[in-house]
Amino acid sequence: MGFIAESFRTALSLIFSADQDVFAAVRTSVGVAAWSVLLAAVFGIPVGLGVGVNQFPLKRVVIVVLNSLMAMPTVVLGLLVYGLVSRQGPLGGRGLLFTPNAMVIGQTLLAVPIVANYTLSAIKGADSRIVPTALTLGAGSLRSMMQLTREVRFGIMAAVIAGFGRVISEVGVAMMLGGNIRWYTRTMTTAIALETSKGEFAFGLALGIILMVVSFSINILLTFMQESHQP
Amino acid sequence: MSTTTSTENTGLLNVLLPPFEKECGCKVDVIAVGTGKALKLGEAGDVDVVLVHARSLEDKFMANGFGVNRRDVMYNDFVIIGPANDPAHMKGAKTAVDALRRIAAAQAVFISRGDESGTHVKEKEIWSAAGINPAGRWYRSIGQGMGEAIMMATEERAYTLSDRGTYNAFAGPKTDLVILFEGEKGLFNPYGVIAVNPKKFPHVRYDLAMKFVDFITGPTGQAIIGQYQVAGKPVFFLYKAR
Amino acid sequence: MKPPQYRLTEIRVFYRANLALEVDELTIASGHLHILAGPNGSGKSTLLGILAFLMKPGHGQVAFAGTQVDWQRKQLASLRKQVTLLHQHSFLFSGTVFANVAFGPRARGMAKEDVQRTVGEALAMVGLDGFESRNARHLSGGEARRVALARALACQPEVLLLDEPLAHVDKESAQIIETLVISLSSRGTTVVMSSHNEQLGQRTESRVIRLLDGKVERIVEDNGQAPGRAVDGYRYAKL
Repeated sequence: MGFIAESFRTALSLIFSADQDVFAAVRTSVGVAAWSVLLAAVFGIPVGLGVGVNQFPLKRVVIVVLNSLMAMPTVVLGLLVYGLVSRQGPLGGRGLLFTPNAMVIGQTLLAVPIVANYTLSAIKGADSRIVPTALTLGAGSLRSMMQLTREVRFGIMAAVIAGFGRVISEVGVAMMLGGNIRWYTRTMTTAIALETSKGEFAFGLALGIILMVVSFSINILLTFMQESHQP
Repeated sequence: MSTTTSTENTGLLNVLLPPFEKECGCKVDVIAVGTGKALKLGEAGDVDVVLVHARSLEDKFMANGFGVNRRDVMYNDFVIIGPANDPAHMKGAKTAVDALRRIAAAQAVFISRGDESGTHVKEKEIWSAAGINPAGRWYRSIGQGMGEAIMMATEERAYTLSDRGTYNAFAGPKTDLVILFEGEKGLFNPYGVIAVNPKKFPHVRYDLAMKFVDFITGPTGQAIIGQYQVAGKPVFFLYKAR
Repeated sequence: MKPPQYRLTEIRVFYRANLALEVDELTIASGHLHILAGPNGSGKSTLLGILAFLMKPGHGQVAFAGTQVDWQRKQLASLRKQVTLLHQHSFLFSGTVFANVAFGPRARGMAKEDVQRTVGEALAMVGLDGFESRNARHLSGGEARRVALARALACQPEVLLLDEPLAHVDKESAQIIETLVISLSSRGTTVVMSSHNEQLGQRTESRVIRLLDGKVERIVEDNGQAPGRAVDGYRYAKL
């Protein structure tokens, strides 16, 4: 139990001494997570919108599939992407494996189902009069979709926040595709895994505390942005 | 028992433990982790016996009173592996220090386990003897096990220091890297078995731990170890009988 | 002579295996006020939905200003810019009153200064001058209805459709809306409005199309105000 108190002390000393390793890991964690969430939003929000708004055969099937993808085990996804980008794989030529870019690819794929599903929920809960109202006022499909998006922006922001939470806390994909290379692809989560494997529990927890502080701060910031735009 | 992942990867325990379990009528639970963690488990009294290969750390463990009755068991050795085309031209090196110097000079990609394991400790010793502080994009400290290091080195066409056992297990199907330096005395990797101190941790099964220590240093255990092979090659070497 | 604004033929609309609307032939002349009367569930909203090009009938033809409607995306986009529907429970977008009323003009690519002016005029028409910066979610029932109407007016449509615009609205708002609707039709906008109110037709001296159970039961002409209309006469309910 004593090592929890020790961890807090260690965490503070790491922050105040501006430990380079820790700062590098934080930068990598946040950077990779930010890009992943951005790309996940670019792909996931339109998917959620498209499925939510339109009627088409097999719509139910698509929704079930989207839901199930959220439960994809990270190690399975990591293996699939590993197979694609390693030298023997189809995308192997670009030397992607063990770089932050590979991590972004993996984590984007993780986050897209989450963003899409939350967006889909937001659309489902939206007033059914929004699109017909926009259409009858002379808007085309694109403008109507944009108005719908604007009306449910609270829910869409929640989608982004959920996606961010997923990727910044994940370790399986980051380890497998990034390789935990010091200064380069080491994130807070893979660093914690390393310290744990060395038996350095207190240090590992100290890193965990720092990660949670960073993660909570970003979430608070995003939630603040979400609420300041509340209608 | 706590031991290292490299030890488990050699597969030795799969042939060594069943005869022992039969003989003593007990069961051995193996926890295979990094060297540091293996010793930490001993320091916490979470295991009854420790089997590792990091002499300096073992000595510290003993000095701090966590273990008793340390015995030499066997040794294997480290080898430097890399791509067959050897971009750093280290093949002709006479010593390990020289080999690593050539790699550093060529800034050829080198994968370091970076996890305070026995292998990593040995690697650091060689850099230190060479007077080099390895840094730069070519030196990748990955904080993972031997298997992962070999896979990454294979992927990146890089060099790394590996224990012979793990390398043999991977050579062929999983990696096309070859041994480019071997045989130097400084690369020997001695294994020690230590019983966790019952005075510090009264609950440990000291009696069973000592049975294990006696078994693997006795004729039966040593014979098994000496005959053990991976991919048709012996992995461990025995100390000459005293 | 101007072709009729709408000509509907052999219209059938099904809602879960029931016939929600059945119209053999109906003409809506342009530039007049038409009132759709009838009890709830008689098909008024369905008919308005078709006239607004928001709902495609399962069977039948619709001609608008002499041209057949093919219900393809491209044509619909253009048609919807000429016809605006004010829903019974209209939905105001989140944001300001200005953002709402400006929606139509902006969707038509109007220039910024013109948008400003058009919004001001529309709000003036419904008696809500100066309401631009008000939050659309903080309006009374009558104010919200008038903003929705202003939003529709700002589109300057050829055809204005209104679904129960006078229902559950305070007296002042109802008065403003009624006056506005009459003046619009007299200035050439085709207005089709549904209403419960029986006296409305007589009071406004407009044409009344009475619906019952999804069929046109009776059409009461507006006492000969519209020139040269031939076809429509009395239709009797199929009992």
